Amino acid sequence: MPALNRDVREVIREEAVWRPRILDALAGGPLTVPEIADAIGAPTHETVFWVMGMRRYGWLAEIKGSEADGFFRYEPTGRVS
Amino acid sequence: MTDTCAVQEAAPAALDYDVLVVGAGIGGMESALKLGDMGYKVLLVEKEASVGGKMILLSKVFPTLDCASCISTPKMASTIHHPNITPWTYSKVDQIRKAADGTFSATVTQNARFVDIDACTGCQKCETACTVAVPDQFNADLVGRRAAHIAFPQAVPKKAVIDRAGSSPCSFACPAGIQAHGYVSLIRSGLDEEAYRLVLQATPLVGTLGRACYAPCEGECTRGSLEGTLPIRRLKRYASDVHDASGNDNGVERPEPNGKRVAIVGSGPTGLTAAWQLARMGYAVKILEAAPVAGGFLRLGIPSYRLPEAVVERDIENVTDLGVEIETGRRVDDPAALAGEGFDAVLVATGTHRSLGLGVPGEDRLGVIGGTDFLRRVKLDEPVGLAGKRVVVVGGGNVAMDAARTARRLGAASVTVAYRRSRDEMPAHHVESADAEKEGVAFRLLVAPAEVLGDAQGAVAGLRCQAMRLGSPDASGRRSVEPVAGSGVTLEADVIIAAIGMKPDTAMFGDRVAVQQNGRLAADTATCQTAVAHVFAAGDAVNGPTDITRAVGEGRKAAHQIDAWLNGRAFDNWDDRLPVVDKQAVLARQKAFALSAPTSDGMNLVSAPADFSEIEAPLTEPEARRASGRCIDCAVCSECNECVEHCPVDGCIDLRARDETHEIRVGAVVVSTGFKLFPADLKPQYGYGVYKNVITGMQMDRLLAPTRPFNTILRPGDGKVPERIAYVLCTGSRDQTVGNPLCSRFCCMYSIKQNQLLMGALPLADITVHYMDIRAPGKRYDEFYEQAKAMGANYVKGRVADITEQPNGDLLLKYEDIENGGAITQAEYDIVVLAVGVQPNRDAEQLFNVGELSLDEWGYVDEPEEDVNPGQTGIPGVFVAGAASGAKDIADSIVHAGAAAAQVAAHLERTKPALPQIEMVPA
Repeated sequence: MPALNRDVREVIREEAVWRPRILDALAGGPLTVPEIADAIGAPTHETVFWVMGMRRYGWLAEIKGSEADGFFRYEPTGRVS
Repeated sequence: MTDTCAVQEAAPAALDYDVLVVGAGIGGMESALKLGDMGYKVLLVEKEASVGGKMILLSKVFPTLDCASCISTPKMASTIHHPNITPWTYSKVDQIRKAADGTFSATVTQNARFVDIDACTGCQKCETACTVAVPDQFNADLVGRRAAHIAFPQAVPKKAVIDRAGSSPCSFACPAGIQAHGYVSLIRSGLDEEAYRLVLQATPLVGTLGRACYAPCEGECTRGSLEGTLPIRRLKRYASDVHDASGNDNGVERPEPNGKRVAIVGSGPTGLTAAWQLARMGYAVKILEAAPVAGGFLRLGIPSYRLPEAVVERDIENVTDLGVEIETGRRVDDPAALAGEGFDAVLVATGTHRSLGLGVPGEDRLGVIGGTDFLRRVKLDEPVGLAGKRVVVVGGGNVAMDAARTARRLGAASVTVAYRRSRDEMPAHHVESADAEKEGVAFRLLVAPAEVLGDAQGAVAGLRCQAMRLGSPDASGRRSVEPVAGSGVTLEADVIIAAIGMKPDTAMFGDRVAVQQNGRLAADTATCQTAVAHVFAAGDAVNGPTDITRAVGEGRKAAHQIDAWLNGRAFDNWDDRLPVVDKQAVLARQKAFALSAPTSDGMNLVSAPADFSEIEAPLTEPEARRASGRCIDCAVCSECNECVEHCPVDGCIDLRARDETHEIRVGAVVVSTGFKLFPADLKPQYGYGVYKNVITGMQMDRLLAPTRPFNTILRPGDGKVPERIAYVLCTGSRDQTVGNPLCSRFCCMYSIKQNQLLMGALPLADITVHYMDIRAPGKRYDEFYEQAKAMGANYVKGRVADITEQPNGDLLLKYEDIENGGAITQAEYDIVVLAVGVQPNRDAEQLFNVGELSLDEWGYVDEPEEDVNPGQTGIPGVFVAGAASGAKDIADSIVHAGAAAAQVAAHLERTKPALPQIEMVPA
C-alpha cells in the first residue's frame, strides 16, 4: 500500500466511512494498527487517525498490557451507533 | 436631537470596562487577575472556547515537573469566576480605536457557540453524536475531534461549542430549506434512517425529491470544482429507499390538536408540504384536490420513468399518517367561503396546470395538445394514440422534454423538439435535454411555430416554422431571437404538443380571489397572505412555474406564516440560514485534495425506450457510503441535528443562534495575544508533514499529557511505542535561513523536560538530543539539564543536516558530531521530535489601524522602553503582556504580565480625572 500523505483534514474526515470496516476487521479478534490497516486495505498512518478517533469516541479500546512487538491491540467496545 | 447631542458632549458615556485584555493565555489571565484584584473592571476576550492558551495543553512545566493542568486550571477558574473580570470566550476583537480623550472604543464579536452556555452541562453527548470529524487543534492535529466539541477536558468554561463556518453551499442552495449537507453526513456515518428523518423535517416528499428534483445543491457542491459533485439527490433517494425497505415508521408522532383547522386547496408539493408542517404543529388539516388523485404535478405531470406513482403515494402516506385528510375530486371555487366549513385559514396552492397556447393559426386543429394536458392524460391512463405518429413538441423546457420522452415511450414514429433558440438557451435542465437526445428525441433548433398545417379532415399535417437567429443578450443575459427574413421550414407532424409554458387555472375563482395581470394569484410573496386575511396563496399559482424544491419551500413558508397569523404573531422571515461559506476558503483549508472519482450517474437510457420503468438505478450501500464520504464538510457543522437529538437539556443547542457584535468603551488595553509556533514544514530537510514519524515538540507534549490523544506515547505513523527517540533543537529559531535569528528561549528546556518525562514513561527508550548549545539560564534550569543527562539522555552537539524515512517508517538522521571530531554521522530512530521555536503573532497589529501599533524588527509588539517601562507600547494606554512582545517561558510571561498590569493601573490612575468614573468593586 503506497504511503502517500493525504491532507490530515481529508483523512480524519473519512473516519466514519472507515469505521464499519475497522469494526468488521476487529470482529475476528483484537488487532494492532498495522494489522487493522492490512485488513481494511488502507495506509497504516491513516489508520492511526481512524483508530485513535474511534478510541476517543468510545468505539474501540486498547487491551491493557497487550503490547506485542511495540504495538498495542485494539478491540471493539460494543458501541453500535 | 440637538439637546441630546449637547448632553452627550458635556457628559461622555461612562466606560463599559476599565481595561480590555485581548487574549486569555497565561499572560492575559495574569494581567486580568491582577487588575481585577486591584478593583478594575476587566473585559477579557479570548478567541478560543476556553481560557488557558497554550499552557493548559502542556504535559508538565520545567524545571519543577509540576503538572501544567494542575497549575493552570486554578488560575483559569479564578479568571472566569473573578467578580471584576468579564470573560468572553469564543469571541474576537475586531478593531480598537483610540478616542480623543485617551479612552478606547473596541468592536468585539461574540461568536455564536450554538450552545446555551448556562444550560450546557458539559456532558459531551453532542460531541459523541456529532457526525463531522475535523482535526483537533488542541491535540496538535494528532487526532480528530467533532464539529460539536468541548475544547479539551480541562476547558474553562467546560461548555460545548459547535464549529460552524456558515451554511454549506449545498444546503444554502436548496429552495426547500433541506439540510443537504446534514443528510449526506448522516449517510456517511451509516445513519440512513436519521438521514431520512432529517429530510422529513422539511417535507414529507423524501422519495419524490430523491428522484425528481433538479438538485440545485449539486450545482453548488464544492467538490464539483474538483472531480465532480456528490450525487446529493440520489443520496436522498438512497435514504428514502432504505427507510421504505426497513418498514420503520417515520418517527413523527401526531401532536396534540391545537383546535384550529386549515384547508389547503391543491395537493401538489406546496400543498402537501404545508399540510405536513401544519399538521406537525397540531392543526387539523384537510386538503381539497380537484383531480381524481392526490399529488398534483408530482402525480399528473412528471412521467413515471422519472418518478413512479408508488413513490409519490408513499410520500403522501407520510401526510395522511399524521391525520391529514385528502378529499379528491373536490373543486374549490371560493376559498374564502371555506371559513363557513369551520376552517380558520385557507391556503391556495393550485399550481400551474394549464398549458399556454401556441398563438398561431391552426392551433385548434385535431392533434394539437398542450404539454401538461398530454402528460396528465398519460398519467391517468387516458388514450392518446401516438403509436406510429410523427410528433413535434414545441418548447424547450422540462415539460417539453418530459412530453417528448413520454411520446417516445408511447410508440411515436418520430419525436422532434422544435425550439426557437439554441440548445444553450434551453430552459430545460441540461440533463433532461441530453437524456432526451439519448432516447432518440430529435431537436430542431432556431425555429418558431408560425402555423399549424392541416389535412382535408382538419387534422394536423405539419408545423410551418419561421427560422430564427440569435440576437444580442437581453437584460438577463439570455440572447434574444429574431426572425430570419424569408426563411422558413415545415416540420411534418401528426401530433403537435405545445409545451411553451404553463399558467395557473384560475378561471373557477372568478373575482373571488384576486389575480395578477399575468394570470397568477395575487398574494404577498413574503407572507403568502392574500387580500382576504384568512386566505393565503403560495407556490407556482402565485410565482409561475418553478420546480419541486421551490414549491416545497413555498409550502414551508406558507405554513410558517399561517401559523404566525393564527397565533397573532407578526409575520417574520422564515429563512434563518447562515450566510453561505466561501468555497475558496473551504478549498484553502487543505493543502491538497486526493483524487476521488464521482459516482456514476446510474442512468439506464436506451435509444428507443419502450416502457415507463424507472431509468435511474438506486445507489447501493457501498456506493452511498463512498459517495457521501467525498463530502468535504464545507461549513464544518453539517446541521445533521444529531447534537440536538442527543442533548439531554431541552433548548440547550440552538442552531439559530447568531454572532453578536458589541461596541465597548474602555480606559486601557492589554494586548496578550501570545506567540505562534514555527511551522516545521518550512525546514523541508527534516521532513515534517512528509515523514509520518517526524513530529513537533508541541505534539510530543500532547502525547505526554494526561489528556493525550493516544492511549500512550505512540508514533503516529503506525501506532508503535517508540524506543529510539531523537530531538532536533533550534528548529526554526536561531536560523537565518528561515529569517529568525532569535533564540526562542524555552525550546531547550521543554525538550529537556520531555526527555525526563519520556525516560519515566518509556524506561527502555533511548533519547538523543541534537543541539547547538543548551541554553538553561534560569533558576534550577542547568541543574535540570544535568539531571536529564544523569538519567541517561544523550546530548550530541552539532546540527542535523537532513532526515530520510526508511520503508518501515524509521528515520535516518545525518548529523554533525562536533564533540567527536566533527564527523558526519548517521543514526536511525523510531521517532524524531523537532523542537520548534516561536514566531510573533501578527494578529496583534490587526487590532488597530494600519501602522498604529508599532512592532519591533522581528514582528513582536514593540516596547519602546522595555528596560525601564516593560509592558508599555507605542500607544499611550495600550500595553502588552507576555510573549506577544517576545519569546518568554511561562514564568517570565507571568512576571511580564504582572508588570503590564501595574503599568495599566498607573495609567488609569494617572488619567483618572479625565475619565468618566465607573463603580469599582473590590475583589
